[in-house]
Order: sequence, then structure tokens, then C-alpha cells
Amino acid sequence: MTTALAESSLSSARSQSMLDRLRAIVGKDGILADREDLLVYECDGYVVEKKCPDIVVFPTSTEQVVEVVKLCNEYQIPFVPRGAGTSLAGGCLPIGGGLMIALTRMKRILEINLRDRYAIVEPGLVNVHLTQALKGTGYHYAPDPSSQGACTIGGNFATNSGGPHTLKYGVTVNHVMGAEVVLPDGSIAQLGGTVEDVPGYDLTGLFVGNEGTLGICTKVIVKLTRDPAAYRTMLGVFETVTDATRAISEIIGAGIVPAALEMMDQGIVSALEQAFHFGFPLDAGAVLLIEVDGLEVAVDDEAQRIIALCKQTGAREVRQANTPKERQLLWKCRKQAFGAIGRLSPSYCTQDGVVPRTKLPEILEFITACGLRHDLRIVNVFHAGDGNIHPILLFDERNAEQVARVLLASDEILGKCIELGGSVTGEHGIGVEKISFMNKLFSPEDLAVMSLIRDCFNPKGLCSPGKMLPTSAGCGNEHVPKIKPGRRAAM
Amino acid sequence: MSMSRRSSRADALPCNGHSFQSFLQLKQIASRRNYGLSALEFTPATQLELSRYVAENAQTERRTLCPVGGRTALHFGFSAPEPGVLVSMSQLNRLVDYPARDMTITVEAGMRIIDLQRTLAEQRQQLPIDIAQAERATVGGALATNTSGPRRFGHGTFRDYVIGISAIDAEGRLFKAGGRVVKNVAGYDICKLLVGSRGTLGILTQVTLKLRPLPETSAQLWMTVDSFTEIEDRLQRLLTSQVRPNAVEVLNPAAAALIVASARCELPTNAPVLCVGVEGSRREVDWQLDVLTQELTSIGVQECRQVRDHNADRIWESLTDFQTCADDPLTFEANLRPSQCMAFAERATQLGVAVQVHAGNGLVIGQLLDEAATIDHSTTILNELRPLARSQGGNLVVLHCDGEWKVRMPMCGDAEHSWPLMKQLKRKLDPQGLLNPGRFMDGAATA
Ligand SMILES: Cc1cc2nc3c(=O)[nH]c(=O)nc-3n(C[C@H](O)[C@H](O)[C@H](O)COP(=O)(O)OP(=O)(O)OC[C@H]3O[C@@H](n4cnc5c(N)ncnc54)[C@H](O)[C@@H]3O)c2cc1C
Ligand SMILES: Cc1cc2nc3c(=O)[nH]c(=O)nc-3n(C[C@H](O)[C@H](O)[C@H](O)COP(=O)(O)OP(=O)(O)OC[C@H]3O[C@@H](n4cnc5c(N)ncnc54)[C@H](O)[C@@H]3O)c2cc1C
Repeated sequence: MTTALAESSLSSARSQSMLDRLRAIVGKDGILADREDLLVYECDGYVVEKKCPDIVVFPTSTEQVVEVVKLCNEYQIPFVPRGAGTSLAGGCLPIGGGLMIALTRMKRILEINLRDRYAIVEPGLVNVHLTQALKGTGYHYAPDPSSQGACTIGGNFATNSGGPHTLKYGVTVNHVMGAEVVLPDGSIAQLGGTVEDVPGYDLTGLFVGNEGTLGICTKVIVKLTRDPAAYRTMLGVFETVTDATRAISEIIGAGIVPAALEMMDQGIVSALEQAFHFGFPLDAGAVLLIEVDGLEVAVDDEAQRIIALCKQTGAREVRQANTPKERQLLWKCRKQAFGAIGRLSPSYCTQDGVVPRTKLPEILEFITACGLRHDLRIVNVFHAGDGNIHPILLFDERNAEQVARVLLASDEILGKCIELGGSVTGEHGIGVEKISFMNKLFSPEDLAVMSLIRDCFNPKGLCSPGKMLPTSAGCGNEHVPKIKPGRRAAM
Repeated sequence: MSMSRRSSRADALPCNGHSFQSFLQLKQIASRRNYGLSALEFTPATQLELSRYVAENAQTERRTLCPVGGRTALHFGFSAPEPGVLVSMSQLNRLVDYPARDMTITVEAGMRIIDLQRTLAEQRQQLPIDIAQAERATVGGALATNTSGPRRFGHGTFRDYVIGISAIDAEGRLFKAGGRVVKNVAGYDICKLLVGSRGTLGILTQVTLKLRPLPETSAQLWMTVDSFTEIEDRLQRLLTSQVRPNAVEVLNPAAAALIVASARCELPTNAPVLCVGVEGSRREVDWQLDVLTQELTSIGVQECRQVRDHNADRIWESLTDFQTCADDPLTFEANLRPSQCMAFAERATQLGVAVQVHAGNGLVIGQLLDEAATIDHSTTILNELRPLARSQGGNLVVLHCDGEWKVRMPMCGDAEHSWPLMKQLKRKLDPQGLLNPGRFMDGAATA
């Protein structure tokens, strides 16, 4: 058997002994080391940069994770955790090679406690499976990334994922009470718990969104949220993007916090229409998908106020979903928006930036101008209520010169987000993709404090090297140069 | 070393060092009963001045630093082992940026909570966190103590609202984390780390908060119930109620009497009280009160009253201030699973403690009354309650007691599994141990 590991820096004798010991820990079915098998793991949803891990292991318990991590320390080889691999920032890229620890076989729901409103789950549990398990209880797990049918709760924990309903309900960190984490030295940390206000620092809050750089999460304690009593879902149709963004600003400014407020521009709408024939007006500049939830006595009032505000800002019409089926249809088109993009272009690059919500008109105008300047087609579908934009840049990856323009345009858009007082990522993370932006967003002092924190938990830098922070003290950080934009979409 | 040493020694401290002096407007203040803190005080006018001062201190005098806001919670935790410098945030109290239509605000950490609330109310917005003694407490102090109140059930706590911070670490480095937008995952979320860190990891200088609209109105349904067992039954019904309460409070008669008295309301307090809060438009509030009354009142409920408008506002305030209102010997907080709270409250009631429960969140605040005015008596009561709290992963922390008692009290609760890790982080960020040393996550051995 030729293993990838054998070709790497480890001597073959050492690699053989490591493989034997790993097999003893996770069993022979819990390990992949053949070139062909490893190919699947050369990238995640960020397909620009690729690198095979030397070995992938599939532990089934915390104890196994501990043993594997200890072995990596003994052999001094880097390791990186992986959930479903839907990261759009290259979070799972095994920089420096080494071991990939895939958590997908640790996917049990360990406990659901409705009286105390929490659930304890293993990290490999697929997000939507928790919601399914809760059906009929009156409770749900609130964070709903668009990738929820595939992504794992461990991955959500590591990236602090959001979703359409983040606007009202908050992101992952607002719903995590505690976690069990195998630290980079193989020790186990119990953070937070099934009770609130555990005395001490909020390490749970610090660990959410650590992008795998502080350890491997092996259990998550999540809060359960009461289902809303009633919804109203609306579709506002606008002549121009500017009108639609003004409506957003008016709605938020009027003190209404909808459950979700999503925007799709003409490019997306026409692609959706071609693909699914939902009956969208093809000549509309933009549509807003707006959902309010709450008490039955309140939702109609709120919906009426929103409709009035949309009309004031020039909405051509506001359609209301009158049945659960109509509501589902509206959400379906929102969630399938990215599937439809394939019709527009062979390749596309989804960006993820944030601006203060009142700056949406400005950033969208900038995006349009940027597209014209670089002769690129850019379409938009995004979490408008949060100011979290996802411009999608369309291109043909066989055209190297066009690819270069996409990279340039992406950088300009993210640079503009910073200039407008925003951020270069609202939910997809820094990963390897956006490392070069960190020192534009943060000062050397800010980054120094972040490095102290990383070094405190990950002093040897063996755990997820080369991620999130621009320089990686104490470990060989081979930064991967960006040659191609990402192609997948995310909403 | 005696942790309970009072601060009189501080008066003897020399304040020398010329460059050091140049930043200092050191002044002597009266020694403070209870706090074990020093008499030196430094009041920076800008965050830059503060950062220079802290940097200089780290290299020269190495005095310990205690950031202070409204001084309402300085007694939290153990007394400082040695006198140092009080860093008063009183002049860092400016509004930095309030783009109301973005529903975010950036303020300096020394701003009083009441000033923040007034500014927000003008735009019909709020930070929906109940903060005791709002006229005195500051944004930085409230955040550093992670303070909260009854409405945390509906609205969450500081960690749900802080989206950006600037702070100065023990070496004087001015750093920030997060930003000014409501959604942001760039870098580690140091904001969360600083919430509740009691000024031991950094001195907060600026904070950016996410805001919520002010509801049109709010109200409570106040009912006296035969027993805690009957209340537990109501709490379980509330789990699937049609209503979405913003607060679920339980009070024993002793606490209820104190709260009603301070709110100057007339409400029954002769049995355990379940008080459910709701908010929204008038219509929503009316509807919710009606439905709650139907859902909850049956045999076992003695009296049931709707509390509205001004009375409701005063009850909110009293429910928030209960944790701080004690002249009594000792106040504690236990964090439990919600399902354990009624049994705990019953036991505490038998022991003569005034008890308030944030029942939806599993937090119990207890005041030992005057009868327990000796350390031995207080210790006996706590020794009964602590194992109850610990039994399912909870804890019990003394918030307030006589300074002399502190060495024998769980001022930070019993040691948690992750404390060694937290101490490691503290050493990394404050290697010389200059920020509020000895007051947090310490003394577990004496417990
Ligand atoms: C179509 C599509 C739509 C998307 N929509 C959204 C959206 O709406 N909102 C949003 O926020 N994101 C979205 N994403 C991005 C992505 O789905 C999320 O970041 C998700 O949380 C990743 O989960 P995962 O299980 O796939 O993790 P992976 O991609 O496997 O890993 C992501 C990162 O987390 C680390 N990690 C994974 N598991 C663990 C663990 N157990 N312990 C420690 N670290 C770990 C990895 O090392 C990596 O850095 C979308 C992606 C796609 C492809
Ligand atoms: C008797 C009493 C009991 C109380 N009990 C409780 C309680 O049980 N639970 C509760 O939540 N609240 C309690 N408080 C409420 C108290 O009002 C809040 O904690 C308050 O918000 C603290 O704000 P402050 O500005 O007064 O802080 P201060 O009392 O001045 O400081 C409190 C702590 O925060 C630190 N700190 C202050 N400013 C900063 C800063 N800018 N940067 C870093 N650290 C800083 C201080 O070093 C200190 O450790 C109590 C208050 C009193 C008087």
C-alpha cells in the first residue's frame, strides 16, 4: 500500500508505526491513507486551493479524539478538524499536510431536555437532523444556515454560523451554552454547561467561531428555542435595487425586527424564474423576502406596517403567502437561488461581507460600478436585514484574465466593506481565504492579543495551522497564494 | 496574607516617579470599608492617556490596577490582596457614534447606564438588559460583571448584545475586537471573553452594542400560589404556553414583601409568588395577560392580579434591584437547571432566606436576613444550599457580604472544571498579574 504519509516528511518506518497506532485507536474502518481515498478531502466548499491530508481518521468517541491528538503531538504532525466540509473559506484545508480528523461519525443526539431547554449533541450531527428530532415538541434549534441539510453542528460551532433567521434570533454563539473540547495537547476542556452563568470567563463564547484553531469540539450543548406561534411571509417587488434597500432601511428604522429579511436582485430572480417558473416578474430590479413571526394577534399588524413601508419606498407590489404551502414555496426559491446560478455562468465566486444596514445602497451601487469597471457580471442574494452581503461574481474559469479580474473585484468589494465600517466576513469565516484581510481590519495590537489567545491554547501550532491569523507563531506557516476565486455559492 | 485586610494601609502609599506622575492626578480618597482597595486613584480623560499610563505602570511601578465604573459592584469577589490604583472611568463617558437606523451604538465604557438608556429612548430603542442602580452603574462595569435581571428570559444577556469592544490590556496595549456591524465573524470573539471578566483581563474603554426597539408597553401577571410544587406545575405549563413571556419570576413571601415595598405597590405576598412578564403592543399585552390567566389559574392559585403601566415599571425596577438592595448580611446567587429551582427555593425558604428566582433561566438570588447576622449562621445556611446547587452542575456564588467574612465564603463559587484553563489565559494576557489580582476565580481552596 502506498500511503501519502510515506511520501511526506515522516520516515516510512515512523509513518508505518503511526498508522499502526492510529488503527489501534480508531479501527481499520476508521482510517483512510490511500491516495485515491484522500482526494475527496483535498478541499472543502472553497475549491480554489487544494491539498490532500496525509491521513484522515474518523473517531467515534471523545476518547479516540484524545488519543489521536496525543499521537499527533508525539509525532509532531499537524492536524485539522473537519465536519461536512461545506466551509467556503478553506477552513478544512490541511496546511502543512498531516492528519485530518473527520467528526462525521460522532453524530448522536446525546440528550434532549425540554424542561431545561437544552440539547447535547455530538459535533458531527447534521444541523437539520436536530430540528427534525425536535419536530412536534414546540421547540427548535434556531441557527439555520442555508447549508443546514449538510453542515454539522460542530462546524457551525467552529464558524459561528448564521442563517436567514439570524436577524431576529442571533447566530450560533447566541444558542450555545457549553461544549466539550479536546485541546491541541489532547486534554479535555468542559466549557459552560447545562446551567447558565457558570462562574468564570465565557470560554464558550470565545471558542465559538475559533475556526478549529483552539481545539476539536466533541460535544455541544445548545439552547432550544420556542417555535414562533405565527408567521407572515411576504414578497416585495421593487423597480430598483436602491428602492429595495431603502425599504430595508425604513423597516429596521421603524423599529420592526422581522424574523428574516432577504434580498434577491434581478440577476438572481431571472435565473430562478428560468429554472423554476415561480412566476416572478422578470423586469423587477429586486425582490425582498420578508418574514415576521410572533403572536397571532400581532403578526398581521406588523405585516401591514411592512407592506405600507414597502409601498412608500416604491414597491410595485407586495405579495403575501397565504398558506403554509405558499410560504414554503417562497423559501424554496430563496434557498435554491444558488442552484439556479449554474444557469447563468460556468463558474461563480460568492463573497461574504458586511456593512452597516444603512450603507446597503452605497455598497450595492459600488458593486454594480465594480462589475462595470471590470466587465464582470455580479448578482446579489443576501441577508439584507443584517447588512450581510453575498455578491456572486460570475466568470469562466478557463479564462485566466477574467479570473484575475474576479479576484481584483472581490478584493475591491471587501475593501469597500471595511471602508464603510463593516467587516470582510459575516458568517463564512476567515479560513485561508481572507487571511490577507486581517491586517486591514485589525491593528497589529488587535492581532497580537488574538495571537496570545491562540498560543495559550495551541502553543505548538499543530492544530489547524495557517488559519485565521496572518502570522502563525511557532509553526511553519506555508501561506497558500490565491490563484483562483472560489466557485461555490452560499446564502 | 490576609484577604480581608482593609484598605487603611493605602493612605501610606507614596506616589512618586516623575514620568509616572505626569499622567497621574493621584488623589487620596477615604478608605473604603469592605473593598480592601487602595486610596490611589487615576482618572484618565482619553483612552490614549489611559493606555500610556498602563504601559508605563507595567514597566515601572507595577502597581495593581482596579478599573472602576459606578462603584456599585466593587465588592464582588475577594478583596484585593494588596492596595493598588483605582482607575476611574468617570471621564471616559462620551457617546462615540449612534447611527440609530443601524440599531447600534458605540459609547465609552464610563458612560452611566441611565444616560445610555435616555439616549436610546429618544429613538424608541433600548438595550434590553436590566441593570441595577442605573443612575450609578456604568456600561463598562455592567459588562464586566455581566449583570442582568428578570428580562434576560426574553432578551438574553450582554453576550447577546456586545458586537465590538476596545480595551487596554495589562501591558497598556489598546486593542479592539469585533466591530460595529451586527454580524461579523472575523477573528476571535474577544468581546465574549471580556463580558463578565470583572476587569481582570483588560480595561474596557469602548463598547459597541446591538439594540432593540422599545416595546409599546409591558405588564406582569402576579399570582400567589399555595406551594412551590404548585408553581413548578405552572412553570411546566408555561413551557408550551401560547404566550411568549419576557420574564418568569418566582418569589418567596419574604422576597415578595421586600419587592412590593420598594415598588410601593399593593400586591399579595402571603404565599409564594409567580410573576410572569409580557411586553409588546397594547393588544399583544392584553391578549397575553388574558391567555396567561386562563392557562395558569386553577386550584392552587390564591390571588391573581394584573400589574400594568407605572406599577409594572416599578415592579420591573424592584425585581432588578433586589440583588443589590441588601443592607443584610449576605447576598448569594445560585445557577441551577430551571427544573431544580423550586426545590431549591423551598429549602432556602425553610432556612429563612429571601429568595428571588429567574425561573426561566435557573438563577436564584438569595438574601440572608438579619437573623443570620453571624458568619457561623450564614455558613451553616450556605453549607445546606451549596450541595443542592452543585448536584446537577450548578454553583453558588456570594455576591455581597461583610468584608471580614470573605475569606470563608465562596465569593467566586466552587472551582469549575475549566478554571485552570482560565487562569492560564489570565497569565497569558496579564503575566504580571496587575489587573484586579486575587479577586476572581480565587480562593476555591478556602471554600
Ligand atoms: C450552499 C452553502 C450555503 C451556505 N450557507 C451558509 C449560511 O447561510 N450561513 C453560514 O454561516 N454559512 C453558510 N455556509 C458555510 C458553511 O456551511 C458553514 O460555515 C458551516 O458551519 C460549516 O459546517 P461544516 O460541518 O461543513 O464544517 P466544515 O466545512 O467541515 O468546517 C468548517 C470549519 O470548522 C472547523 N471544524 C469543523 N468541525 C469542527 C469541530 N468539531 N471542532 C473544531 N473545529 C471544527 C474546520 O476545521 C473548519 O475550519 C454555506 C455553505 C454552502 C456550501
Ligand atoms: C450591593 C450590590 C449588589 C449587587 N449585586 C449584583 C448581582 O448580584 N448581580 C449583578 O449582576 N449585579 C449586581 N450588582 C449590580 C451592579 O449594579 C452591576 O454589576 C453594575 O452594573 C456594575 O457597574 P459599575 O459601573 O457600578 O461597576 P463597578 O462597581 O465600578 O465595577 C464592577 C467590576 O467591574 C470592573 N470594571 C468596572 N469598569 C470597568 C471597565 N471599564 N473595564 C473593565 N472592568 C471594569 C471593576 O473592576 C469591578 O470588578 C450589585 C450592586 C450592588 C451595589
